[in-house]
Amino acid sequence: MKDLKIEILYPEFNNLFGDRGNYEYLSKKLKSADCNIQLFETSLYEKPAFASQDIDILLIGPCTESAQILQLEELKKYKGEISARIDSEKVTLATGNAFELFGQYIERADGSKIECLQFFGHYAKQFSRLRFNDNAVGTFENMKIVGFKNLLSHSYGELEYPFLKMMNGSGMNPDTDIEGIHKNNFFSTYHTGPILPLNPEFCDYLIRLCDEEYIPHELEFEKKAYEKRLEELT
Amino acid sequence: MRKIRFFIALIAAKIIYFIGKPFGKSTNLPGELMLKICPDSLSLFRMPQTTICVTGTNGKTGTSNLLSNIIRKSGKSVVNNSKGSNMAPGLASALAADSTMTGRIKSDIAVLEVDERSSQFIYTKFKPDYILCTNLFRDSIMRNGHSEFIFNKINDYLSPETTLILNANDGISGMLGEKVCKRIYYSVEKTERSSKNCQDTVCDLIACPKCHRKLNYEYYHYNHIGKFKCDNCGFEMEKSKYYASDVDFSEGKFCFNEEGKAAREIPFQKGNFFNVFNITGAASVCREIGIDIDTIIKGIDDLSSKTGRFKSEKFSNIEITSMLSKNQNPISCSQSLKYLNSTQDDMDVVLLITDSNDKAHGHEDISWLYDTDFEPLKDEKIKNVYIGGIRSYDLAQCLDIKGIPTDKLLLFESYKELADKLCKDASPDRKIVIYFELYATSVVKMIKTKMGERGDK
Repeated sequence: MKDLKIEILYPEFNNLFGDRGNYEYLSKKLKSADCNIQLFETSLYEKPAFASQDIDILLIGPCTESAQILQLEELKKYKGEISARIDSEKVTLATGNAFELFGQYIERADGSKIECLQFFGHYAKQFSRLRFNDNAVGTFENMKIVGFKNLLSHSYGELEYPFLKMMNGSGMNPDTDIEGIHKNNFFSTYHTGPILPLNPEFCDYLIRLCDEEYIPHELEFEKKAYEKRLEELT
Repeated sequence: MRKIRFFIALIAAKIIYFIGKPFGKSTNLPGELMLKICPDSLSLFRMPQTTICVTGTNGKTGTSNLLSNIIRKSGKSVVNNSKGSNMAPGLASALAADSTMTGRIKSDIAVLEVDERSSQFIYTKFKPDYILCTNLFRDSIMRNGHSEFIFNKINDYLSPETTLILNANDGISGMLGEKVCKRIYYSVEKTERSSKNCQDTVCDLIACPKCHRKLNYEYYHYNHIGKFKCDNCGFEMEKSKYYASDVDFSEGKFCFNEEGKAAREIPFQKGNFFNVFNITGAASVCREIGIDIDTIIKGIDDLSSKTGRFKSEKFSNIEITSMLSKNQNPISCSQSLKYLNSTQDDMDVVLLITDSNDKAHGHEDISWLYDTDFEPLKDEKIKNVYIGGIRSYDLAQCLDIKGIPTDKLLLFESYKELADKLCKDASPDRKIVIYFELYATSVVKMIKTKMGERGDK
């Protein structure tokens, strides 16, 4: 298959919960399909690679609540490029609290508000102390996506392009069964951690969006690990 | 009224303590009851002249044990919670057992291990004279979130009455108590094992906590523990009053240095680098409370020979080494796995590291496996990797992604089947190394018993 360019945004912050596993898995799958990967790891205050060239897959993981503020300030400089990316066919996967970056604002526990990129209608509210954990299963097209959530916030408001409809676990807040964003090939979800190795079929789906000729190679244990989890969580 | 309540709670806790003691139920239950009757109990004890709390992600227990041992060597009595939990009920139980009927702590010094997340329920009740924080890392995701979250949980409850003893090599916990507490630092100087680049999967402090540019490390000891400086804003490792130097791994000794004093040689458990940090931290606190270095060395020497990270024994002529590996803690697990690099013998490795009580605790979040360094398992001397438990497919998939050859992985959902196969196929020319999480202790026992039953000479 064709060679791919992958960018990991702010890896020094956005690898809290084994999120690097997403790239490691993607890279293993791609290498077994004879694909050469050109990897870009962009640090905060560096110009993102996607702002100046075609990046096939952009990965944005979750970060601490304070790093989120820094990243928002930085990403606002590239609003035009991000908007163009959302409207393009290029694949983006933003996980955990990165979902909040693309909404309206984040309301902190003390009531203060941080303005977000405002591409979508949702807004987040942070709690003061306890974190929210969840085992989740949601449907996307004919796939069932499994995973975990570890958050200090919930999101509310309008979700024009929901990604997942939850079968188990909560949506973007406990009172809704929808969460995330799916617009063109832009995907965002509150799921944290290694969502791709947990969902081999979804990973193959994302790669196929980059190259239709991709023929998936199944890793020895991936199907059983997935099926076992799905069976337990549904 | 508050005092009457406290005395009733204290009497109740003491009764439960004496009834429960023969059954091993005296470490948590008395405190739980006490806090139920009088939630303010921890603030109503009359604490001893010196109270020291030990907190941090890794090394709390080892450091508190060292501290207690050294202080006892100096002729003072110590109350500690080493047998109980490190949360409020565990502390209340230990204090209730040591106190007079009026709530006065009888021991000269209190050494209390405190769970990081319990800071709010402890430091608001009494002000420790010293808090030693060993380090802060990412730990169990579901409980701890991330290291900044835990940092805030401690930092928000510190008071100016407390002196902090901090690990200068840790840029995260090293920032605790800024502008609030008096801070004294300890560190470990560069060793032969230090590296210019981070050798571990996880580094929790890549960006400068002040200006958020990339932090420059002169060397790493492990993960984010090392010597650092920010070229942009000048943020750097704090100056240490106490530090370890000349760490000799093969002989198991290092030099303990104190500003203005001659360096002294101190022994540590060979190969266990964490021990150097634990000893240096404990020795720093002891120097602060006026214990002389000779007594400190005696206290360390005495304990070093008794405790160990792992246990090696022969069963039917098969050598089995078992190592406790904290579930959900990628740093602790990665460091334990490094033991495999220290020997050239052929080995079978058994991984019982995912939650063996998954069903009772709720489906385990396996994200932490991707933060763990399984690299040592790649080595050819490791012949088979036995993986046990309900999450064995997840672990096997993670190992596959990280490049461990799948032909040496053997998966068993049933621990009994794992034990049967392992004991049947074991050979005296291969050592067995078992990594197990706390709840899998019974599985290790089962393996050892079965192996013993083989009876080969």
